[in-house]
Amino acid sequence: MRSFFAALRRLFHVVLLGLVGAGIVHIVVLLLVPEFSERDAWSRLSMASDLYRMNRLDAEAGGAPVVKSVDPLFYATACRFDLDEGMVRIRAPGNVPFWSVSVYDRSGHNIYSFNDHTATGGKLDAVVLTPAQMIDVRRDLPEDLQGAIFVEAPIDEGIFVIRSFVPDDSWKPIVSRFLEQSSCELQDF
Amino acid sequence: MLKNAFLMLLSLAIAIGGGGASVWYALKVQDGVGAIRIGQWTAFPDIGTPAADPYSKARVAREGVLALGRAEGLSFVAENDAAGERLKRECTYMIAGDLPTARFWTLYAADQSLGVVETGKSRLAALQSYGVLRQPDNSVAISVSSHPMPGNWLLTDGSGRMYFVLTFYDTPIASSTGLSDVSLPRITKVGCDA
Repeated sequence: MRSFFAALRRLFHVVLLGLVGAGIVHIVVLLLVPEFSERDAWSRLSMASDLYRMNRLDAEAGGAPVVKSVDPLFYATACRFDLDEGMVRIRAPGNVPFWSVSVYDRSGHNIYSFNDHTATGGKLDAVVLTPAQMIDVRRDLPEDLQGAIFVEAPIDEGIFVIRSFVPDDSWKPIVSRFLEQSSCELQDF
Repeated sequence: MLKNAFLMLLSLAIAIGGGGASVWYALKVQDGVGAIRIGQWTAFPDIGTPAADPYSKARVAREGVLALGRAEGLSFVAENDAAGERLKRECTYMIAGDLPTARFWTLYAADQSLGVVETGKSRLAALQSYGVLRQPDNSVAISVSSHPMPGNWLLTDGSGRMYFVLTFYDTPIASSTGLSDVSLPRITKVGCDA
């Protein structure tokens, strides 16, 4: 009888140890998921296209959407960039009812966002750069960057997303063209 | 000796199995940390920002979401009606009430993965504020049904669980201070197909 209780106590110890271990594993796994995920937005986009290449996120362009673009009444496009190679300039011509823009870091966190009310004359013309590059640019601002919105982001790799509202079917070609003609390029300075 | 090895294996199995499974479960449930509830509607204002909790961060990484920024908008998701029952695609619902200030909003019926419900018709299961009729007091009443409805009609189709996603764009409520006295429309069940 006594040996039975001893064995039971032993088992209880083991289960308790296991549960404490489970708690530790839970925390470790939780913190490692963002590091090792191969399904995050960056990985999905990098499978679909190169750096500095606009890539439609909605299903309209054909094929399944790369990254789940949530709102069915929106079209969206995204490009990946690397600020270590230089600052990146994003432009899109034309007028649409509403556009908004977000800059994400490598792990998909929204760092900065703005919409067409922020831009001069509703024109989408933005430059993403690091604080160090910003100091260089401030010293001598090039003529053609005068109207641009500067987004200072303390990151290297990132994702730029343009979302645009499609109020009804008649706007589809116009909004599509707005996103097709958007450009995402390395800006020389 | 063999018994010791067995016990050690058992505790390791509990640790690794239990730890892994609990993370998987925590990431699977819709309801999470950092949620803000207004009536039946739930929003995660912090999701996708560097200030988010570790669970939201892991969810963002696992599902590849690119969340809306503060200057873009804020999404609310409803999974229950006012009586606390789960929303079903085969039922007819009435969404009525006042909406907070925003440049415009969109409302759509969604499936489990929060993608829009496939209607099989050219009409989307989505509405937007420029295309709805308003009551004399500026509130909105929307009928959600798979059958044609008078007034504002949000088309759904199929059967099974359904979610409503209501997104406000360019809105002051997206900054957390504005969220305190926001009222959102009520979702009431009108009836179900047999």
